[in-house]
Amino acid sequence: MRTEGNSGGSRASGSSLKHYVFAVLACGLTTLVATPLREQLELANTVMLFLLTVALIAARLGKGPAILASFLSVILFDVFFVPPRLSFAVSDGKYLVTFAVMLTVALIIGQLTTGLRRQAQEADRRERQTRALYELAVELAGALSLQQVAQATRHFFRHQLGTEAVLLFPDEGGALIASPADEPQTMIVDLHVARTVHDSGEPAAFGGLGSGNDQPWYFPLRGSTRTRGVLAASGGALGKDYRPLLETASALVATAVERLHFVEVAHVSQMQMVSERLRSSILSALAHDIRTPLTALYGTADSLALTRPPLPEPVRETVEALRDQALRLSGLVSNLLDMARLQAGKVTLRKEWQPLEEVVGASIKLLGPALTDHPVTVSLAADLPLLEFDAVLMERVFCNLLENAAKYSPPGSAIEITAANNGDRVEVSVLDRGKGFPEDKLERVFELFERGTAESTVPGVGLGLAICRAIIDAHGGRIRAANQPGGGGCVTFSLSRGNPPSIPEETSSMEPDQT
Amino acid sequence: MQIRRFVRNALEGDGCRVAEAETVRQGLIEAGTRKPDLVILDLGLPDGDGVQFVECLRAWSAIPVIVLSARSTEHDKIEVLDAGADDYLTKPFSVGELLARVRALLRRQARAAEGESPVLRFGTVEVDLSRRIVLRQGTPVRLTPIEYRLLAALLANAGKVVTQRHLLREVWGPAFVESSHYLRIYVGRLRQKLENDPAQPRHFLTETGVGYRFVG
Repeated sequence: MRTEGNSGGSRASGSSLKHYVFAVLACGLTTLVATPLREQLELANTVMLFLLTVALIAARLGKGPAILASFLSVILFDVFFVPPRLSFAVSDGKYLVTFAVMLTVALIIGQLTTGLRRQAQEADRRERQTRALYELAVELAGALSLQQVAQATRHFFRHQLGTEAVLLFPDEGGALIASPADEPQTMIVDLHVARTVHDSGEPAAFGGLGSGNDQPWYFPLRGSTRTRGVLAASGGALGKDYRPLLETASALVATAVERLHFVEVAHVSQMQMVSERLRSSILSALAHDIRTPLTALYGTADSLALTRPPLPEPVRETVEALRDQALRLSGLVSNLLDMARLQAGKVTLRKEWQPLEEVVGASIKLLGPALTDHPVTVSLAADLPLLEFDAVLMERVFCNLLENAAKYSPPGSAIEITAANNGDRVEVSVLDRGKGFPEDKLERVFELFERGTAESTVPGVGLGLAICRAIIDAHGGRIRAANQPGGGGCVTFSLSRGNPPSIPEETSSMEPDQT
Repeated sequence: MQIRRFVRNALEGDGCRVAEAETVRQGLIEAGTRKPDLVILDLGLPDGDGVQFVECLRAWSAIPVIVLSARSTEHDKIEVLDAGADDYLTKPFSVGELLARVRALLRRQARAAEGESPVLRFGTVEVDLSRRIVLRQGTPVRLTPIEYRLLAALLANAGKVVTQRHLLREVWGPAFVESSHYLRIYVGRLRQKLENDPAQPRHFLTETGVGYRFVG
């Protein structure tokens, strides 16, 4: 298979010289066999013997030897059989016709036979290639790692084509590296060419594919979504007949690599699911264990404060302080758990399309007593679209922002919530009339455990804004802090508008008593 | 445990008789033998979940159930409310809030027993259920059929938390239980028409992540 059908190349020329020698020998042998029979056989029969020889040579040794044999047969026939023997001279002019016919027929036979032979060889080659590809496919289907894929590929190229092959895959940084081989690498791969092939998705070779030199060919491993690597094969010597085969092989390898990729993806996501489940079960156990005593503490203090007859004033104050601190502690624990959950990354957002107004109202209601000293005004633009967000998390954002605003502004000052369209986003701001943020910390206030004023008498650990940012980030939004020109802090976040679903209007607005 | 103790103290201070149970099994037995007027259920029970308790209880009784649950477990709340619980409180909760919820449900129970009046009043709004008329400060309010159905569904469950799924199924039909934005838009419209400050509603309250509560 290596040499057949190969017109160029060094290995071919040595063996074809042998073929010519064989052709000459065969013609000589025919002459030797026919000479003693000269008396019995008519000349026409001798011609037949020579033609048979030419046919056999064509069938076995190829076109060149057949042509040589054709001419040689005519000469030998002339010299040894046509009278006068042992000379080129011809006694009778009719023999010239015999020579002409003999030569023509020999050439035609040679031509036809070599043609048939080549077709048979081609068919045979195709069949073997198909089988080899099939075997490669089977082997790749069973491969469980990229290394096994590389091994199967190398095996295929070495044993079916007699060439070397290397698979190159991009690493995490995107740089192409050769797949680990269990034996030293003999082929020299040009990484620059490989990168070009990887990026363009088009095969390449030095001097063009099929140019017949010894440089490697590069085939992209095209997956369904993107190029997954490059196959480099020192196939230059094979000739361009092999290009379809190599392309098919690289397609098979690409399929295997892609399959492994998706297996990997599935595996990783399953691992993540398991670890996520573990983490959240630990978190919820922790949450439960801390919250239960806190609930008891808060509830007990609260019921103590409500006892009848009322407790003496100093005791009542102590009890109320106890209750308030328990509540604060509980809020802190909640925030810590929220932050832990958010930082763990995969908080699943339960996004739904909803009006902003609702979550704003719910947050104000939830904070209740904490906002008694601060009248909250809500001014939402009338044309606000529905927004897609997780209501529970967004409520945390508003609660944290409102709580902050209340904490850092003097009692009695107003807090304002505004929202308006701004291009393809909606911008929401919470404004207060306090001292605002330190100018040099506008970015850092969103960092974990970072507080506007470190030694502030206002209680807090710097979790609120960090949680806000984590939640807004998870929604694909942006959050920033600023100071208002007239004094007071302002935290603004923006959410993408997206494509809110429409709801069909009711066709008739009937009087209620007609429904 | 401590939570049970202060809940008990608070309820007894309010003039209720209280029986305690430590587990779902015991709770069901107590509920069956004592026939209480109201059940307060902690979702963190040791043997099995509260949903199971509510489902078993609802098989033979309609007594109101208030659930105590931790925050950030909206899914559990929805599940237990859909199973038939009436209300929930998030830990930590104040005694005053608990008593208010208990009283509201007991009042509701008593009203249901003596037969509902067809005319309901809240704020400046008057709803005549028999004649399907809604008045605000004496002037008729025009509601679309869906708005009216939603209002009626909320009024019928006054004082209780109603889950989104429940409202969507009742007002729009079973095919719409996932279309929560319908509900949100229509609640918004009811607030526009019936609340003084729709952004800070006093009657049509949002239970974020769970559903709605109408408070008279």
